[in-house]
Amino acid sequence: MDTKYIRNFSIVAHIDHGKSTLADRMLELTGTVTQRQAQEQLLDNMDIERERGITIKASAVTMAYEYEGNTYMLNLIDTPGHVDFHYEVSRALAACEGALLVVDASQGVEAQTVANAYLAVETGVEIMGVINKVDLPAAQPDVAAEEMEHVLGIRRNECFQISAKTGQGVKDLLNAICELLPPPEDRGQEKTQALVFDSHCDPYRGVICYVRVFSGRLRVRQKIRLMHKGSAYLVTELGKFRPEMTPVEEIGVGEVGYIVANIRNLTDVSVGETVTDDAAPADEPLASYQAPMQMVFSDFYPGDNTEYAKLRAAFEKLTLNDASFSFSPQNSPALGFGFRCGFLGLLHMEIIQERLERENDVDIVQTAPTVSYEIVTRDGDVHRIESPSELPDRAHIEELREPFVRLEIITSSESIGGIMKLAEARRCKLIKTDYLNPTRVLMEYKAPLAEIVYDFYDLIKGISRGYATMDYEFTAFEKTNLVKIDILVNAQPVDALSLIVHRDHAEQRGRRLIIKLRRAIPRHQFEIPLQVAIGGKIIARETIKAYRKDVTAKLYGGDVTRKMKVLKRQKEGKRRMKSVGSVQIPQKAFMSILDTGD
Amino acid sequence: MNAYPTSLHDEAIGLYLHVPFCERKCRYCGFYSEPLAHHDPGPLVSALIAELDRYAGVGSIHTIYLGGGSPTCLPLDQLTRLTEAIVSRWSVPQEFTVECNPGQTDTHTLSMLRRYGVNRLSFGLQSFDAEELALLGRRHSVEEALRAIRQAGELGFDNIGVDLIFAIPGSTPASWEHNLQSATTLDIPHISAYSLTYEPGTALDEARRAGRLQSVDEETDRVMYEMAIDYLASAGFAQYEISNFARDGFACLHNQGYWQNRPYIGIGPSAGSYFQGRRTLNAPNIRRYIERVQAGEDAYEQYERPDHNERICETAVLNLRRREGVDLAAFQRTTGADFLKVFDGPVRRYEGQDLLERGPGSVRLARKALAMADSILCDFSAL
Repeated sequence: MDTKYIRNFSIVAHIDHGKSTLADRMLELTGTVTQRQAQEQLLDNMDIERERGITIKASAVTMAYEYEGNTYMLNLIDTPGHVDFHYEVSRALAACEGALLVVDASQGVEAQTVANAYLAVETGVEIMGVINKVDLPAAQPDVAAEEMEHVLGIRRNECFQISAKTGQGVKDLLNAICELLPPPEDRGQEKTQALVFDSHCDPYRGVICYVRVFSGRLRVRQKIRLMHKGSAYLVTELGKFRPEMTPVEEIGVGEVGYIVANIRNLTDVSVGETVTDDAAPADEPLASYQAPMQMVFSDFYPGDNTEYAKLRAAFEKLTLNDASFSFSPQNSPALGFGFRCGFLGLLHMEIIQERLERENDVDIVQTAPTVSYEIVTRDGDVHRIESPSELPDRAHIEELREPFVRLEIITSSESIGGIMKLAEARRCKLIKTDYLNPTRVLMEYKAPLAEIVYDFYDLIKGISRGYATMDYEFTAFEKTNLVKIDILVNAQPVDALSLIVHRDHAEQRGRRLIIKLRRAIPRHQFEIPLQVAIGGKIIARETIKAYRKDVTAKLYGGDVTRKMKVLKRQKEGKRRMKSVGSVQIPQKAFMSILDTGD
Repeated sequence: MNAYPTSLHDEAIGLYLHVPFCERKCRYCGFYSEPLAHHDPGPLVSALIAELDRYAGVGSIHTIYLGGGSPTCLPLDQLTRLTEAIVSRWSVPQEFTVECNPGQTDTHTLSMLRRYGVNRLSFGLQSFDAEELALLGRRHSVEEALRAIRQAGELGFDNIGVDLIFAIPGSTPASWEHNLQSATTLDIPHISAYSLTYEPGTALDEARRAGRLQSVDEETDRVMYEMAIDYLASAGFAQYEISNFARDGFACLHNQGYWQNRPYIGIGPSAGSYFQGRRTLNAPNIRRYIERVQAGEDAYEQYERPDHNERICETAVLNLRRREGVDLAAFQRTTGADFLKVFDGPVRRYEGQDLLERGPGSVRLARKALAMADSILCDFSAL
């Protein structure tokens, strides 16, 4: 196909600003799906995505569209909307020439919109501003357009006003995509280079690679080479997503499609890989984009009712579908065998945990997420640790560094005070404030990741009554004054409850933590002391009282069924527990570390 | 409706009859009963007898327990009719208990029961304190209770038990000790001591929820329980179940059947049966019960058939309530399962905490575990 009739684009938007609805409408208007098929948002494949209203995995769909007598091939590459998945947004954008930046007419520009716009600018794609939901009574398209211009530099009169829900303006938008977005370069005569921008694993056919061809072409039965990995495969199938997988004989230059080539594991082909012809390889691979950085770490242990091997199998199954999280065996002195896992962010972590339990019937006890730290040892070594328990003895540490991020918050002007107060308490340093209009402000902070990664977003949402949005991007590891807090449960140190905090907050945090633990750990048949130690010195103690009386007085014939049910419920209440010595610690106790609120 | 066939196994089957009448309901009682004044007891007794007939094929009955409600609130002729109907169907077993309300038990009733072979009486004495009796909504006086027990003894009943309740609002360890002392000076061989339970829907529970009543705190409840165990032991009453104590040879055979998870047949409204592998629950309503029985329908409205794992768990939980605990060989014989194997996790955990004890061929709750048995037994409630 002539590249001048090909358009490759992504839709980037804040959650709930209507990205998936817009994609659906485009599929309908182009006749890609004849009518609204039972499933609402076709591009979201997994249940959890649909439930949470977010898209986790990028997908791609090819549409045919008639414009001014020509048939255009529109390739829509879907992107996730959440802050944790920046990396996936950037890899989707790398396969495009254009991006539609969608903003809700009633909400205006959000922090994620800003972050996504930065990504699009960095990638060098052409950006089209789209103001969605103009049919809503609360819509203020002009205000949104002004913000687009002020914050993102997209001219207000060039923004498209649409309603993805009613279809209003979507046809004009499709026309504009054909007219305004640049076509791919016509490099069909050059050696083959195709970018793998996503992949998933099919139980029968192995890995399905989503590719964008930048030069040359791909053909069925071609022997391809993965340039980074250096391995070669025979293409058994090529195809397009329309939106179901439709085999084709060839994927030409500028086009988007999928490759099936008997690739067994997701780890055999990394996203960002360049595919070339094995016989006539390109001179060099395509510029790769930044690999994802795992920012949040947590240990997953099998609950008292789950076997280690079963959890391992569940993890292995999951990595087939998500290459952006990692797991490695971990042995905790207190909790036994489990896995250390790395995630892109907190939401990513929650999704993985939920999928593990839902899809595998395993019972998981998860430790509080932590960020990674950088340690400079006395002998000048620099290395990262992903858990407070890995922290070496203080005598060996020259310097302890924690990750900092650039944090952007967009909020209403009346909530500025509250947010500034919170940010200050969390060691965030204000870089600048920028009024988008008299009622909305963009605040930029330099923030320690550890302080914002857990509950910060919920808190600013609360302060601003749901108004504020935030986004962040890692900048650097920097030295700060950090100490480790240890928690002893029944006189036994529990490494999974250790945390690293700023020295100024340590004592207070420790005290608050054991009060929470006292509430979170149920009473046992014996008394349980809880202690906080900083640098080996006990600074606080709480006690969980023992059960004194818990017994059914009467149990005779007619009561058996009912009493058994009561006991079963009581047992059920012990699910997701982990024994540390003779103390059973419930999941929520491990999470009490997180809640840093007053 | 055909009579049920004889049990295929040589099992000791218990028979329980529920008389769902009371003069007035006690404020703590969660069992099904209705005021007798609202009913003619004749049709109910006829229905009970009709339901008994359905089990005519059951060759022998190991124990009989006539409870309620208050069986003794039936008019003497009806109680006689019912007792006669039972003993004319099965020869009087080793143990035939009748629950007696101390305020309703006179010498006529007692002699009639004695005549038909009833050999064990259980008196709902509850307390020796008039205020506590009033708070519980009991209608008898302490004196009436003592008189009834004395009369029973005079008529030749030697197997007599009394129920006591502790942790009644306002009670103290000292007042409880007084109750224990009073009970042990009676010439009786069996005492049940129950911690007051606030059953949902009872007047007492309502009063507590509304704040009109202050329940005894957990620590005091525990102290009273431990006191009961020690005091009764020193007076010659060995504990054989969480709430039951007896002199040597007087443990209640019928109730032990429940904790051995043996089969039993329950007759009457709301009565439960565990028979031929099914747990059934009769209609908990006098009118519906009578209608069902008269129409030849099953008296029960719901049933469950515990699967193998559930049987294992029920047996474990029930056995562990006994002071002797689980007899490993008997457990293997009746459930086909190796107790130590199927409950390896909880056994090891609680043994390590000295909450379970291993004897030769048995596992039982340690003394200190009794007061918090549920927090342990729940780990045996499912596999």
